Amino acid sequence: MTQLVADNETQGLSGPKRSVSIGVRVRNSRASGVLLVVLILCAWELSARTGFVQSTNWPPFSTVMATLVVDVTDGELLPLILSTLWRLARGYGIGFAIGIPLGFAIALLRPVRLVVRPTIELLRPIPIPAIIPPLIFLLGLGDSLKLSSIAFATLFPVVLNTIAGVMAVEPIYDQVAKTFGVSRWTALRRVVFPAALPFVLAGLRTALGLAVVVTVVAEMIVGQDGVGYYLVSMQFAMRAADMYAAIVLLTLIAYLLNRAFILAEGRIIRWTRLREASGDAS
Amino acid sequence: MMRAKDRLIIVAAGCSLPAVFLLGLEFASRNGWVNPTFLPAPSAIFATFAQIILTGAFFAPLVHTLTLLFVGYSIGCIAAISLGVLMGYSRAIYNLFEPLTELIRPIPKPALLPALILFLGLGAPMEITIVALGSFFPVLINTVQGVRAVDPVMIDTARTFGHKSPAVWRRILLPASAPYVLAGMRISLGLALLLVVTSEMLSGNGGLGDAILSAQRSFLVKESYAWLIVLALVGLVLTAIFNWTEKRVAFWQAPQAQ
Amino acid sequence: MSVTALHQVSPAPQGARLSIDKIGKVFTGPSGGSVKAIDGVTLNVEPGEFLAIVGPSGCGKSTLLQVIAGLMSPSSGAVRLGAQDVTGEPAHMVYLFQQYGKSLLPWMSVAENVMFSFRHRIVMTRSAARARCDEYLAMVGLLDFADHYPWQLSGGMQQRVAIARALAAEPKVLLMDEPFSSVDALTRLDLHALILDLWTAKRFTAVLVTHDVDEAIFLADRVAVLTHRPASISEVIDTNLPRPRLSIETRESPNFLALRHRLLAHLLARPGGAAHDAR
Repeated sequence: MTQLVADNETQGLSGPKRSVSIGVRVRNSRASGVLLVVLILCAWELSARTGFVQSTNWPPFSTVMATLVVDVTDGELLPLILSTLWRLARGYGIGFAIGIPLGFAIALLRPVRLVVRPTIELLRPIPIPAIIPPLIFLLGLGDSLKLSSIAFATLFPVVLNTIAGVMAVEPIYDQVAKTFGVSRWTALRRVVFPAALPFVLAGLRTALGLAVVVTVVAEMIVGQDGVGYYLVSMQFAMRAADMYAAIVLLTLIAYLLNRAFILAEGRIIRWTRLREASGDAS
Repeated sequence: MMRAKDRLIIVAAGCSLPAVFLLGLEFASRNGWVNPTFLPAPSAIFATFAQIILTGAFFAPLVHTLTLLFVGYSIGCIAAISLGVLMGYSRAIYNLFEPLTELIRPIPKPALLPALILFLGLGAPMEITIVALGSFFPVLINTVQGVRAVDPVMIDTARTFGHKSPAVWRRILLPASAPYVLAGMRISLGLALLLVVTSEMLSGNGGLGDAILSAQRSFLVKESYAWLIVLALVGLVLTAIFNWTEKRVAFWQAPQAQ
Repeated sequence: MSVTALHQVSPAPQGARLSIDKIGKVFTGPSGGSVKAIDGVTLNVEPGEFLAIVGPSGCGKSTLLQVIAGLMSPSSGAVRLGAQDVTGEPAHMVYLFQQYGKSLLPWMSVAENVMFSFRHRIVMTRSAARARCDEYLAMVGLLDFADHYPWQLSGGMQQRVAIARALAAEPKVLLMDEPFSSVDALTRLDLHALILDLWTAKRFTAVLVTHDVDEAIFLADRVAVLTHRPASISEVIDTNLPRPRLSIETRESPNFLALRHRLLAHLLARPGGAAHDAR
């Protein structure tokens, strides 16, 4: 359940909207909110331009955006972003490829569940960055260290959600498969897997957010390249505008990844959304 | 009631994997199959761990980390619950803050660390700020959803019985949304721990994150693993405390599946 | 949605006799205590017969049906179809669930749900499978809804899909677990007529579990009455009502009303019966 509510977090405020609204009903417009954002950006711009805040760490908003355009177009940021994304994709892929089969095995096979699950529960609360220093001894400072950390972080939400999903499959589906004499493999493929899929995807989405965070952390701590490393070096070099530009770009990428995931998810499990919309609760 | 024999099987099966792993490692390390410099025998690591505990060396870093975590997490949660309740209750306040939160929320929080270091330096203010920021968003979003999910019938019922607004808030809105808020706080706790460790690693001003990274940089291999055990225990204990609290605060809610 | 076309020819009853031989079922509770749910039920169902089992709610009739279907194993006794013992998942019996909405797989369209019941068992081309699926959907009057999802349909239509899916597997025995209890009264009458038409057309053996006495008399050749838990047979009554049965006229006939009177009196009078149960 925990992971499912975690879901809300990654989907954000504009996720599934409740039609019921309590309290005062005002016309549904975001104009006020957009205005607030514009005001804050103007305050940033003016405070830096007029010298109200005098600091090399406080470049005007317009300068940050200009730097972003320059850094992206002159090719300084692009390779860094690509190396970060490629690292993320591999680490996430490994965690995903191990996590889903492991989750199914734990949920479906009692011996596996008895042996493996306590260890998962034991390892889960470890703060991921803490595994990096000891891992340096084993894997060195290279990519395999970062990939292992990302995969490790990905693993837990995926495994736990897969288990929850398989456990939550309606018992009646199992009986339906039985009464038509469907083989165990077919039942797994056509009944258990689709029934658990919404949970699995929710886990994968939570894991994606976490994987982005861990990628950046790993690059910051043991970086040789990537955006995390770039951020730290810009901080040392006191190039604030470049640093902010990189943060903006990274945020944009994280946002787009999450959006793309939600879009793909919506297509894969279209039936859950349509069913909800049709108001069928059974 | 579970029978004693079943209980034994469950415990034995659960312990078997870590036991096999540790014994295998011990064996491999002693026989030189793995380089003991990089992967010391578990017994040696546990000896170092015992030393850290017995000499009290763990105390200062632990207190440092827990203090930062507690202060930052509390600030983040209180701010998020306050704003979240308002945003969930009033459409106008929701509309005012939604675009801003949607803009800031997707920032991978560790990416803000270098910026915060520039402004706040390497000390506690920076570390507390990042923890508070990281804790803020999951709680905010769950609180908004929790308040919105309160059945309007429940509120109307209270009004019918003549309850005034403050009572409606205290007796209905807050308890009814508590399970959502707590679920958000659980996500935040994990994130807060991750961020406090990362920020301590980057600032090097004490704390468990600093201890573990310094051990690595000084090539103190066993210490590095021993500190990892300390951090894992911290995570386990915090999770256990959270579960214990959640069970008592949201007791009317059906136990959440794990 | 009349299916009168099916009345033309009624084929000879297919399959073998279903014998339920001294079935008992005891549940062991988590605290080690045990509850006897079924106590030595013996019943024979002839090929092509329509048997109804009625009993007070909670008497263990669903358990009995699940044991017959092989979804649950009995503590004692045996179920045989012809000469074969029924163990595990029987190839010739299909179970029609009470919770029709839940028993349809929500990620499959209506047609996919129907094909799910036979495609894994019979090797056939996609178009042949689709033809068979369409045949059964036409019988329940839902051909136009083949590509809808089950949750887009009303409750009665969902139960029609479940019926089409069950029959598309072409079972020798159809086991029905209060299949009409969660639809509204008019839809229920409609579904009664439908199931009788299909039964006439396909001549499978039908076993219906219900707590609705009218439904049991209207549909069945024989009605078996169960006692309160632990369930055992207290009486088996031949309905002897002429077929084809008509939704309104049959229910108003003196014979129907006499049977109804007799069964209700029987169920209500017994200590531990329905009246006792309704406290």
